[in-house]
Amino acid sequence: MTTSTKPIHGAQTRRTARNWLGPIVVLLLLAFPFILSLLSGQPVDTGTPKFWQGMLIQVFILAVFAMSYDLLMGYTGILSFGHAMFFGAGAYATGILLKHSGWGLAAVLLAVVGVAIVQSVLIGVVSLRVRGVYLAMATLAFAQMFFILAQATDLRAITGAEDGLHGIPVPDWLNPTDQRLTFYFVALLFMVIMYLIARRVVDSPPGRVMVAIRENEARAQMIGYNTFGYKLMAVTLSGVMAALAGFMNALWNLNATPDVLSVETTINALLMTIIGGVGTLIGPMLGAGVYQLLGYWLNATFGPRWPLIIGVIYILLVLFVPYGIVGTWQLRRNDMRAGWARLIRPLRTGLEADTPGATKK
Amino acid sequence: MVAYLRRNTALLVTLGIVLAILLWMTNRYEPKVTASIILSGLTLGALYFLVASGLSLIFGLMDVLNFAHGMLFMMGAYLGFTAYANPRLLLNTLPLVLALLGGAQVGRWLGGMLPDKLKKPWLDTALHLALFVLSVAVILFAVRGFNVQPLVANSATAAGGAISTADAQEAASLYIPRLLWLTLAGVLLGLGLSRVGPVATRRHTRWTGALIGVGLVAVAIAIVPLRTPAETFLLSVSSNIRFVLALLVGLVAGGALGALMESALIRPLYSRPLYQILLTLGVSFVGTELIKTIWGTAGFYMDIPAFAAASGEGCPSPNLWSWFSDHCASIDVLGRPFPSYRIFIIGLGLVIFIAVALLLQRSRIGIIIRAGVQDSEMVQALGINVRRVFTLVFALGSALAAVGGVAAAPFLGVNLGLGAEVQLQGFIAVVIGGMGSYIGAAVGALLVGMARAFGDQLVLSGIQLPWMDEAIRMSPSIARASTVLIMALVLLVRPAGLFGKKE
Amino acid sequence: MTNILEVDAIHTFIGQFHILEGVSLAVPAGSITALLGRNGAGKTTTLRSIIGLNAPRSGRIAFEGSDIHGKTAYAIASLGIGYVPEYRAIFRALTVEENLRIAERSKKDLARRSDLIFGLFPDLKRFYKLPGGQLSGGQQQMLAIARALVPENRLLLIDEPSEGLAPILIESIVDALRQLSAHATILLVEQNFRMASILADRYYILDDGQSVHAGQMADLVQNRELISRYLGAGYAAAVAAPESPAVMPTAQQGA
Repeated sequence: MTTSTKPIHGAQTRRTARNWLGPIVVLLLLAFPFILSLLSGQPVDTGTPKFWQGMLIQVFILAVFAMSYDLLMGYTGILSFGHAMFFGAGAYATGILLKHSGWGLAAVLLAVVGVAIVQSVLIGVVSLRVRGVYLAMATLAFAQMFFILAQATDLRAITGAEDGLHGIPVPDWLNPTDQRLTFYFVALLFMVIMYLIARRVVDSPPGRVMVAIRENEARAQMIGYNTFGYKLMAVTLSGVMAALAGFMNALWNLNATPDVLSVETTINALLMTIIGGVGTLIGPMLGAGVYQLLGYWLNATFGPRWPLIIGVIYILLVLFVPYGIVGTWQLRRNDMRAGWARLIRPLRTGLEADTPGATKK
Repeated sequence: MVAYLRRNTALLVTLGIVLAILLWMTNRYEPKVTASIILSGLTLGALYFLVASGLSLIFGLMDVLNFAHGMLFMMGAYLGFTAYANPRLLLNTLPLVLALLGGAQVGRWLGGMLPDKLKKPWLDTALHLALFVLSVAVILFAVRGFNVQPLVANSATAAGGAISTADAQEAASLYIPRLLWLTLAGVLLGLGLSRVGPVATRRHTRWTGALIGVGLVAVAIAIVPLRTPAETFLLSVSSNIRFVLALLVGLVAGGALGALMESALIRPLYSRPLYQILLTLGVSFVGTELIKTIWGTAGFYMDIPAFAAASGEGCPSPNLWSWFSDHCASIDVLGRPFPSYRIFIIGLGLVIFIAVALLLQRSRIGIIIRAGVQDSEMVQALGINVRRVFTLVFALGSALAAVGGVAAAPFLGVNLGLGAEVQLQGFIAVVIGGMGSYIGAAVGALLVGMARAFGDQLVLSGIQLPWMDEAIRMSPSIARASTVLIMALVLLVRPAGLFGKKE
Repeated sequence: MTNILEVDAIHTFIGQFHILEGVSLAVPAGSITALLGRNGAGKTTTLRSIIGLNAPRSGRIAFEGSDIHGKTAYAIASLGIGYVPEYRAIFRALTVEENLRIAERSKKDLARRSDLIFGLFPDLKRFYKLPGGQLSGGQQQMLAIARALVPENRLLLIDEPSEGLAPILIESIVDALRQLSAHATILLVEQNFRMASILADRYYILDDGQSVHAGQMADLVQNRELISRYLGAGYAAAVAAPESPAVMPTAQQGA
């Protein structure tokens, strides 16, 4: 009944006009280590530049994770509370294979994708039989199952039980400590590729069906779409992306602990999505950045209990800024511009009093 | 008869499966083992019921799935444990809360005397935003430097070791100003709250509300000099009385938290269903972090109260009746001792089940709740203030969960894993029983409890299939994970659950 | 004759849809007023706006002279307005007794009104302890009306009481409503034009969310052009054959 008015394709329709923005951001991110090195006067692979590369690597990984979550929640309207299971399974699969199988990185990557497809299709087929809160509960329960299994002592030889996997071997060229800069570029490339894939999907006809399902599933079904198939596709795509983020996370941290499978991981994805803006691709990525930097700052200021503050911020956002940064911007862009225009009008008229028609614009 | 059978196929099939398992168990295990598995199952079932019933009632009436329910259970456990074993923490924090609440009551009354609306709407918004910000600032100022850690560190537990109460708590000269500042913050908050919402729906608190507010502040201040004597007194009385006190603290705190949560956070979101769950998840997160902030990350053990802790001569009690007089820690069940505190939990679950069932069936409020489950809009159109009933049911459900937490504390311990664990089992119970059905919640909880007890036994004793030389033994985690599979099965076969209505 | 209810140019939105675009009504006390119009004209939304379930965004609603716009539904209802929604929205899980008890605004309401209620609907007394869900369609409709009679409501908003009922049952509902009008003013939404024309003193016609026509029912019955313009040709044909039973083809959308 309540037709949501989430801002979605505002960005898309005007995208052509702002096509230059994305490449510029990417270029800036490429140049970032060197700029920081210049500013701080330290070599690019030590000290401050190295530290901030680390921060951004984490942001890139989280950004992909959050974006994959929003493909489900924001675009298809599937509220899953078990997204950590894909992220965590990706991380664990990476760790287990690198540690125990002796496969190369590329083979592991393919295997992670394969595992993620199998996992998300299975989970999807079961949980997509129900909707709304039932689905949220079902996915939460499945995620908890993985969380419990990861801690089970029976599988200690493989998963490391409650300690998790540590000292995952990665190729020397990608060592996150010694080859930080390389890792930085790889992570950035990873994020850009994932974004382009997601963008492609969202703008394609199936992507529009996903949005139609979110708006009114019965209607989409009536028009003749096999909504179950599309939803399964969304779950699978989102699951694979999350698993790849988990893959990167395992490489970056050189470990996979039960934490990556916990509810907190899902909540983090939710947080980043809500902060950035539901139903957009840029939003969750921006949210990941804000979350990571805010977390760093809050941790420095308030100590280890900083998630309490993040949690309160999250509640306030849900209550008062439900569309997040990007969504609110898209909704209020015109208001804001009008507001700015009103504010600077006196200035303009003062400055440009002699150019007739200047204030008309 | 045939129609009845057809309508209740799922129920009958479930009953059949349960019976078959029972029969199989009686063949496989000795009767005394079977009996204690069943009793363990009932114990867990009673606890899960306290979570599931609230979840189900709240969902049934207002379509809100409360992901913070496990947190409320855990909060109940921590608060109950505190009242039971470490009352000084409660005595030193309760006045702070009372002062804030009392101030808010007074503030709402004052707000009623202000002009209804300022000339410009944005001025109105700005004013109450300013009031909120100001009150938060005053709260932060009021509690600056308040150190809760030494209060938590009581003798037997916590890493800090024993710190005497005299050292742990603040002098009245330092503490009373905090209360006054918090009262001020409360007044500002109340003023802000009284101005929220469209003018027509603002409700002004009468002077009795303000009187209650003043009373609360007075009580808060009155507690201050009594903190040390009250602690001494509380620790000197019997553990049974302290346990009853703990249950009461859980009941009241759970109810208050639930009511607060519904009226302040969930109410604005009834028109945005998806966001309600996002919000409750956030509340759960914040609540858990709050618990970590106050009580630390290490767990506690709560002693079993005296009525179920006696040992020595004549123990274990030969039967339930003699337990009433000898209070042994365990009761003999078919030749095997079973912890009597768990029997108490079963009894508590049963009493609450009956009490709530009577409330639902016999009282006017029960009629309203059952009607609201079907069509809350129509209930409102009959002239009944459904929103107030919503708050009440949310409070009731939260109180049940919190009481469950207190009851569970001596059995499961007081730790941070508690919330997520019972929440998961509660969800599974509700899905099995059917969302919105009270009986369904009870049956689902019982089934989950039984499955857990049975599964634990099975994985521990090992599974040996005919062609195996040796039984496969597993850790209890596997049994925990397998209850999830039961839920998946139910979702696949009958998404509405055993007792749920079809859409 | 004073008006018990006055609705003045209300605009109501459901979600982002503008459903009522200026509806004005005046319901004289003691009358039966029929609200007519095609499917989707906004009749149900008008009733829901009055009772406060879909509060109008603008306009004025006055009940017995005092403004009720902006009040919550329960506050409006407790002023003395009873609402009988379409599709017989009784509480299926509650017994007949509980369905009636829940409507009480004070303890003795049901006892005070039981003669009236059971005089009109003797069936309800027979099935007093039966769950509402097990009643027949007609009995459920009677229960829905009876529920609105428990408190002393001075205005009843009744939405499509004849919908989906057998002819014989419609007759008894018509009888009941006629007797009821001695106790309360009725604003009736009805697709069954013959039933409306038998019962009502006055009518309002809604079209596309606006009130477009009003007058005495006796005049409307004569005006076939008006009927077929706003209510569809089916209506007009039905009026032409007065000997046909009270059941009629319900108005077809866009017919």
